[in-house]
Amino acid sequence: MASDPVDVLIVGAGASGAAIAWSLLETRMRILCLEQGDHLQDSDFPSRRDDYELARYAEFSCDPNVRKLKQDYPINSEGSCITPVNWNGVGGSTINFLGHWPRMKPSDFRTRSLDGVGEDWPLDYHDLAPFYDMNDANTGVSGLGGNPAYPDYTPPLPPIPIGKLGQTLAMGFNRLGWHWWPSDVAILSLDHDGRQRCVNAGTCDLGCAAGAKGGTNFTYWPVLENAGVELRTNARVREILVDRNTGLAKGVLYHGSDGQVHEQRAEMVVMACNGVGTPRMLLHSTSRLFPDGLANRSGLVGKNLMFHPLTGISGVFDEPMKGHEGPMACSILSQEFYESDPSRGFVRGYGLHSGRSTTPMTYALGGFGIDDPIPWGAEHREIMDNVYPYLAGLTVVTEDLPEEHNSVTLDPELTDGDGIPAPRISYRLSENTRAMLKHGEDRANEALLAAGARRILPNDSDKVWRRAGWHQMGTCRMGNDPKNSVVDGWGRSHDVKNLFIVDGSIFVTSGAVNPTATIQALALYIGDRIKTNIGNLFD
Amino acid sequence: MADFPMPPKERHLLASILDQLIPGSCERNIPGAGETGVADYLAHVAARRSRFDTALRRLLARASELADGIDSDAIRRLEQSMPMEFAELLTETYKGYYSRPDMRAKVGVGAHPVHPSGYEVAQESAEFMDSLVEPVRARGPFYRDPSKAGGGRDGERSG
Ligand SMILES: Cc1cc2nc3c(=O)[nH]c(=O)nc-3n(C[C@H](O)[C@H](O)[C@H](O)COP(=O)(O)OP(=O)(O)OC[C@H]3O[C@@H](n4cnc5c(N)ncnc54)[C@H](O)[C@@H]3O)c2cc1C
Ligand code: SF4
Repeated sequence: MASDPVDVLIVGAGASGAAIAWSLLETRMRILCLEQGDHLQDSDFPSRRDDYELARYAEFSCDPNVRKLKQDYPINSEGSCITPVNWNGVGGSTINFLGHWPRMKPSDFRTRSLDGVGEDWPLDYHDLAPFYDMNDANTGVSGLGGNPAYPDYTPPLPPIPIGKLGQTLAMGFNRLGWHWWPSDVAILSLDHDGRQRCVNAGTCDLGCAAGAKGGTNFTYWPVLENAGVELRTNARVREILVDRNTGLAKGVLYHGSDGQVHEQRAEMVVMACNGVGTPRMLLHSTSRLFPDGLANRSGLVGKNLMFHPLTGISGVFDEPMKGHEGPMACSILSQEFYESDPSRGFVRGYGLHSGRSTTPMTYALGGFGIDDPIPWGAEHREIMDNVYPYLAGLTVVTEDLPEEHNSVTLDPELTDGDGIPAPRISYRLSENTRAMLKHGEDRANEALLAAGARRILPNDSDKVWRRAGWHQMGTCRMGNDPKNSVVDGWGRSHDVKNLFIVDGSIFVTSGAVNPTATIQALALYIGDRIKTNIGNLFD
Repeated sequence: MADFPMPPKERHLLASILDQLIPGSCERNIPGAGETGVADYLAHVAARRSRFDTALRRLLARASELADGIDSDAIRRLEQSMPMEFAELLTETYKGYYSRPDMRAKVGVGAHPVHPSGYEVAQESAEFMDSLVEPVRARGPFYRDPSKAGGGRDGERSG
């Protein structure tokens, strides 16, 4: 079955799909977005239930292999120490993301020139800066201007409270003379744009029933749907089709809500399926012209997968830290060890994030992203009564460098509910990352002690958090050289001139910050380039 | 919840195991997991997940053979002899116990569902924040900007 052709076909209604649709609105082109999941209904938010924490281990797990909802596709991550996590539905992973919103830094775009590793991006911080600002305004970002770790900018809303925990840690950093700053967050500190401010519920991974978190289900999609963008839900794309005469993309095949396979024609196809979902689709779209997968003449589709490997250190303080009150990942961020320093024994760097502590069940089960329950018996009682309430922690979030062997391929056996091959992840930590994690743990110890911790909880430094593949980048990277990259400097495939990619897969390097502010700024930038070049777009 | 048909003897046995896994505290008036009826929660899970059902039945069968009754040594032996089943029981016990609002409150977390009311967290005043970040601001720019003139190290200040 074929539907009417459209001008722009976007695959994926998450962070990047929404942002590019918004950017292209003014062109008056006919825009259609196909999304394999659905809208989240008001009754779906578990945080309105007494037993809300249970949802984190069932239908609201961030791990699709645990959720196993109809719209989810399984991910084989047996060959990886980190498993990718996500949400599939309108809003994409901004449904369960934590709203931490740091920008990448100028040096992140020039790692090859500055530090001799990774590759330089075909654009830089200053190219993106106006799009960061535009996206912050659309999203409703809160933070404190004047952070000396960045070129000057000011978030549109004042910071959210950093709370007792943030204040305590900040004083520790001040004692050491180290950088820290209140986190930028895609969370409303004030009522804004018809949305309610954050009520400090602390369960941002369970969706935000208040609508305070800047998921695109609350920010872009209501605007887009009002403006006439068609969002077709329960529509899972299985393959991108190519015209064998022109070599251009001509549309997609997708499984509709009626269980049938449909063909949708389009002038332009934009992939926004996340750093795992997009390479999966491209690798599955083989043809005589592209036997190794669409847009894959470089051989780099699915290669160079980057996460942000992380570990956490906790200190026990004398007073209750009330870490469960307030957005769970966002309080303060130190970038003291972000830039390269050869004396440290590794290249590039990391951030020290003060996540707040979590709710009792999650703590007892090992923490967010960890499956390692705390001890039972008398020790359990002691920990829950005398440790848990007094905890403050720091998370070491490291920059992951691109390495070709870290990859997404198609699993030869595992498939989703529509028979499409599942992605298979091969990933291992580099020695550089291990050195960074160790350094970060030691510095986090120091900071916690300086903040007044009476003791530091022991940490198994060989382990990174497994269920923490929140950020998926690099698998279709940008670049000027078609031999060494999948898309050009404005997200257009080198091989297929009307195919664009706008999600985290186009990152060249990962920085050591959460990526979504940059993913959306990039999508807006690409939208802007498309508009500028509209006259000769496919030349 | 009579999901998992459990004779009173087995239910009693399970409750004693649970009280060992999460003991109560008389001092703080906190009941253990056995006392709070976590067994009902486990029965509910067992009725829905056959793997857990099997694990639970096997653990109970083994526990009932323990001659000296249920104390922490007995539980440790159970853990060593059936590690997979034990791990499942522990996970579900923690879930059952801490999904109870009253148990959350005992460890300092609100009993209420967190939406819509959330928590009241005082907003720091602008003056307080300014004083807190003052030492950081005083250090000046703290990043490398390769696009700036002067070989790209313009914004850099080493810590
Ligand atoms: C638990 C968690 C916490 C996180 N916390 C943060 C944070 O604090 N800060 C931050 O910056 N980032 C965070 N992230 C990451 C952030 O959510 C992602 O970076 C961001 O959402 C990626 O945007 P995207 O557009 O690339 O993909 P997504 O937002 O994931 O959207 C992709 C969409 O494509 C759809 N799709 C995929 N394949 C198909 C197909 N074949 N057909 C149709 N539709 C398809 C999916 O259903 C999905 O809706 C977090 C993520 C998670 C899971
Ligand atoms: S803490 Fe704030 S942002 Fe997070 S879910 Fe609650 S209201 Fe939403």
